[in-house]
Amino acid sequence: MTHVPVTYKGGIYRHDEIIDLIEDLGGYIIQKHVIAQEIVLQALVPREDIELIRRIGKPLTGEISPSPLVGAEIAVVTPSLEIHHLPHASCDVAEYIRRFGAKTNMVGLARGFGKRIAQLNDEERDVINEHDLAVYLLGDFEACIERKFPVLRRGIDVPIVLCGGPPTETLKKIVDPPVDGYVGGVGRFMHRTKESEEIDKLEEVVGEVTRVLDRHRDVLARDPLSISPARLMDIVTENVEEIQDVLSPTPITVQMRGLRVKLPYDTFAPVIRKTVVDEGVTIGDLSTVLPSRMRDYILVRIKPFSETNLVI
Amino acid sequence: MEAVEYFEVECPEEAGREYYRRITEVVLLDHNLLRVIQKLHIFIDPRVPIFVATGLTRKLPSVVRVRDFADVNAREGGVTISIGDEAYLAPLLRMLWGKYGKEHVNQPDRFTVILTPGEGDEGISDLPVYDPSESIYKDLIYVLQVIQPEGFKVRKQYYGGNRFYLVASEDTLPEDVEDLVRQKFALMGVEG
Repeated sequence: MTHVPVTYKGGIYRHDEIIDLIEDLGGYIIQKHVIAQEIVLQALVPREDIELIRRIGKPLTGEISPSPLVGAEIAVVTPSLEIHHLPHASCDVAEYIRRFGAKTNMVGLARGFGKRIAQLNDEERDVINEHDLAVYLLGDFEACIERKFPVLRRGIDVPIVLCGGPPTETLKKIVDPPVDGYVGGVGRFMHRTKESEEIDKLEEVVGEVTRVLDRHRDVLARDPLSISPARLMDIVTENVEEIQDVLSPTPITVQMRGLRVKLPYDTFAPVIRKTVVDEGVTIGDLSTVLPSRMRDYILVRIKPFSETNLVI
Repeated sequence: MEAVEYFEVECPEEAGREYYRRITEVVLLDHNLLRVIQKLHIFIDPRVPIFVATGLTRKLPSVVRVRDFADVNAREGGVTISIGDEAYLAPLLRMLWGKYGKEHVNQPDRFTVILTPGEGDEGISDLPVYDPSESIYKDLIYVLQVIQPEGFKVRKQYYGGNRFYLVASEDTLPEDVEDLVRQKFALMGVEG
């Protein structure tokens, strides 16, 4: 059974039937938003059942659409969160990627600005590495990007999509060793992206992110994870009661290789490690439970099949 | 940018030049400073790196005095100031408090200020309340700091007469920076 990421939008009336349906079909609800009278569900559902959900959702004015980025957590890295980069360049990109189902976090570097003086500290590096992909939004000058990008990527081992003002070809030329994706023509700007060509640029960023993540998924598929992150999320939700009291929009964030559980590490890491997944197998057996650099959250990294010899 | 007589962005990189052109237009428009600027020349060289903005302002609006926005009447109980434009109320009150003391300034309603007791009304209507040029220069320099590339923390700025400039870099500014500024002024046809 292959799961595909989708977004369901519909009225709030009888939406619980759709949630039940997705769960009964063996799908997973990653995120649920209630916006006034509307509900937005981001879910992974079996490919062959999309038609069924569409049919059942139709009388409830529900629409189902593919969202390629559901289940991925993406870092949008900008040199700073000062007025020079906010709100337009950074927020517009972060928000646009979010529309395709990804969970985006904005990472504003403490000292990422400037050419010679740009720096990346260890906390920023570790936080970025906790994501599935990093989108770097840099400035308008190739001379600056050429000089500072090697500093900003030092120690980053997740795929990188680099955005900047110069054309894509120029970016490709000045970055060595190459990164996974490039989008030119998205540099620092101070206005809202409203015109169609600017929206096209944002589309291009999403297209590049999707392409890079798809390739990353293929690489992961060669040595599959011992358990799917979405399923692990269900297990944690069922077994750790305290997660119900967490007020974040996503108490558990699903990533491509694991989960971020928004509970304090010291108290709950042992609980999570001991949670039983299947007869005699605990989460601790299938994954590494680590402290996250983001607040005191827990990061669960699922081990691949080659390490555990188990697929659940 | 039609309102600006001369506007150029000079930069060795073409993409960067276009970006900074757009950034400058948007920021000036957002801060409502387009009609204040007569000429503007921006020079950026990311290889050095250095940012130089030089410009001229138009003739600025003159100082706002009490008579420009209020009627002054001397009566027995004191001097009544009836305010027409509330925009200048706050600076007016601040000025009156400073001059006469808070205990002598009453404001029974939004549009009336009464001075007690028995101050003569001579001169009150000529008192300066607000000097727009002060805040315009502050705004101008602020706007140039928003336009400049971020991280250029070493700055030199000047305003006086109707000229202004801002030089910024992340390194120590070169000693001959004044010459550079003069050159940029010369490009706009301004000598000295």
